[in-house]
Amino acid sequence: MSEFEFMRGMTFGQYLPTGSMIHRLDARARIVIFTAILGAVTISRSYTGLILSLVMACVGLALASIPLRYALQGLLPPLPFLVVLAVLQVFLNPGDGEVLFQFWVMKLTAHGLFTGAMLLLRFLSLVLGLTLTTFTLSSSELILGLHLLLRPLGRLGLPVQDVVFMVQATLRFIPFLMQSAERVVKAQASRGAPWGKGSGGPLRRARQAMPMILPLFMNSLRRAENLALAMDARGYGSHDERTSMYELHFRLLDWFALGVSFLLAAGIVAWGR
Amino acid sequence: MSPLIEVEDITYLHDVQDAALQPALCGVSLQVEAGEMVAVVGSNGSGKTTLARHLNGLLLPTQGKVWVSGLDTTIPENRPQILSTVGMVFQFPEDQMVSTVVEEDVAFGPENLGLPREEIRQRVEAALREVGMWEARTRPPHLLSAGQMQRVALAGILALHPRCILFDEATAMLDPAGRRMVMEMMHRLHREGVTIIYITHYMEEAAQAERVIVLDQGKVALDGCPNEVFADEGRLRSLGLDMPPAVSAAGLLREVFPQLPEDLLTMDALLAALPAAEESLSQPQKPAPQFAVGEAMIEVNGLSHTYLLDTPFAHQALRNVDMYVSKGGAQGLIGGTGSGKSTLMQHLNCLFKPFTGQVRVGPFDFNQPEVSVYQVCQTVGLVFQNPEAQFFEQYAGDEIAYGPRLQGLDRPALRQRVRWAMEMVGLDFEEFKDRFVYTLSGGEKRKVALAAILALQPEVLLLDEPTAGLDPQSRLELIAHLQTLRKAGITLVVSSHHMDDLASLTDRLLVLHKGDVAMEGTLGEVFSGVEALLALDLAPPPAALIADALRKKGWPVPVNVINFAGLAKALANFSGGAR
Repeated sequence: MSEFEFMRGMTFGQYLPTGSMIHRLDARARIVIFTAILGAVTISRSYTGLILSLVMACVGLALASIPLRYALQGLLPPLPFLVVLAVLQVFLNPGDGEVLFQFWVMKLTAHGLFTGAMLLLRFLSLVLGLTLTTFTLSSSELILGLHLLLRPLGRLGLPVQDVVFMVQATLRFIPFLMQSAERVVKAQASRGAPWGKGSGGPLRRARQAMPMILPLFMNSLRRAENLALAMDARGYGSHDERTSMYELHFRLLDWFALGVSFLLAAGIVAWGR
Repeated sequence: MSPLIEVEDITYLHDVQDAALQPALCGVSLQVEAGEMVAVVGSNGSGKTTLARHLNGLLLPTQGKVWVSGLDTTIPENRPQILSTVGMVFQFPEDQMVSTVVEEDVAFGPENLGLPREEIRQRVEAALREVGMWEARTRPPHLLSAGQMQRVALAGILALHPRCILFDEATAMLDPAGRRMVMEMMHRLHREGVTIIYITHYMEEAAQAERVIVLDQGKVALDGCPNEVFADEGRLRSLGLDMPPAVSAAGLLREVFPQLPEDLLTMDALLAALPAAEESLSQPQKPAPQFAVGEAMIEVNGLSHTYLLDTPFAHQALRNVDMYVSKGGAQGLIGGTGSGKSTLMQHLNCLFKPFTGQVRVGPFDFNQPEVSVYQVCQTVGLVFQNPEAQFFEQYAGDEIAYGPRLQGLDRPALRQRVRWAMEMVGLDFEEFKDRFVYTLSGGEKRKVALAAILALQPEVLLLDEPTAGLDPQSRLELIAHLQTLRKAGITLVVSSHHMDDLASLTDRLLVLHKGDVAMEGTLGEVFSGVEALLALDLAPPPAALIADALRKKGWPVPVNVINFAGLAKALANFSGGAR
């Protein structure tokens, strides 16, 4: 057990290849479905709709054969913030209506309780939905799907190719950055660096962070330079038209899943209003 | 027919503006014919990598010309053709991974060439099958071992169907098994007609080429077949290089076996050429196993460790490990990538708290909740692999002073401490304290990193791959300083893929295999178990290999032979029986 194991407790942002029904959907379909549902959750003002989305997220996790307990672990880190936010919402935005309980200027109303619960529900659905997305959509599928979805924009002269590749390189960097940060922090702690011991003013703390940040920065630069060289050596940009190894096929199931998810998205937004 | 690669009198300056700067390459001319296998060697900073990058047009010469199959590298239109003729595999495996999935990474090159989909699929499959990574095609590269990543990188080059492949220290970051695999792959490609050019710091690898080019300060110092290049030991050493171990050993053995042929360059050739004893000589008795004795400095009992516990990615890195190091002792750790060496090291300075089992170092019981790395770091110093990657100060002196300054030393004491630490690693205080860290050579940086830990005056020094990436001369120097520290009474724990380092630094060895203790004992006990080590994919030191081969041929060689000095002594004892 160690305070230095950064990768642990990070369920968010991991890809879990379970080979489930959801994993087998066309990458483009998954991108559109997740975007539609998450968008609907974000704008929905319907109480029943949000409950529906929470139920759906759990059903989605089950369909994707992801252990529910593991997915719920990802909720733990943001939970205290969400609860504080919800409580603030309850008291700061009481609205009009019958006052159930009053203390000084704090008013507890049915409306306040309702908006607090809405906020909590919305964020839980969003976090679970995003977790489900990263569990079932690998970064390479995301890249390929984006590439194919955005290709029509390329005809308008937009640099879709380069933008998609930038996303890919960024995603490749995340696990590396975590590993690198872990190594740097361990190395400096071994020399007595006060990692995680917050003391002194902000300036002092910023100075304490330099030994961690500077090598991380330098290592990332070195790595970016090497990556650029390796890409160069393999002929990136030496030919006008890049091709792709993959070809995606939309099947009946993909259209079906797309239809169902649009219906559900509509339900999340409009049900009970 | 014109040569595949022709280099005509090239000079390269890193910065054309700065005339005072020493050119990285200075008037280099050479030709490489199709189908050759060429090794390029030279000390750090001799211009090897700069030269290699000229051969596929990644760098363009300041003066002179490079032609690749008749195409001038300075003409931009030739670029796609040149890049698909000469492929390059780089030193750091993970830096070359472009994609998040293995097969996609291999497809990157052909996709850049704009090949049709079916053709890309065929090439990717053929390339991955060639390097034996077809089964791993859907895995993310960052979860592969360094050796596997290097094979994927090679597949990415093979998919371009190059006529020539450059390997820029492609084995430097690999464990013995990974290195052997990459070397075998080079030989196979060479037999299939691909031209191979490789840069290496390992002389035993250079000895396997058909031709060796030695660079020194940007110039070609030697160029010839390995027999010629490795004939003059004095000249090689003056160029900062070493002899291949097989050549040194052959010289030693020839005093007893004058009939040994002259051109023994590789261990395989040497071992095969050893003569059998005429009559069966009585073998010396195997001594009883010795146990570590003396006051304990490090005690590890039943230590286990699991990474990413409670997640689907959990994997056990250590299983029930016991270790005992006496005060002033020196313990070596051996094992391939992923065997748990680094995890064990990080338990010894309390970066990891023992999850199951006990760890006790000096006065500290790591199982006590209040003990943390901040108290332990003054007793136990850990030098990480490639420690210079963690430098953050501008000046070498400040970098070394960082640890003691945090301890609250006043200025005179701090200065004294830094001076002492620098002297311990052979850096002159006045000369080096105000040097910019980034202008130091690889060997000097490694010494600064070591001094930065020594400045805390630890009683125990933990070293993770201390010589990785150093050229032969810097390696020997560093080892000499570590030997001095040992004599001064410091307790050492060293992990290394380089068995010769362990043979000269440590007295006991612990062999880890996938988190389990596979072997434990004195150097002689472990290294004489040649078959067991080979079965674990590890490489015993050359002297132990030769001793084992001699024993098998009936010669009475004691089991404690681990270095050439010991081998020479053993040979002197039975030189009479040879003739």
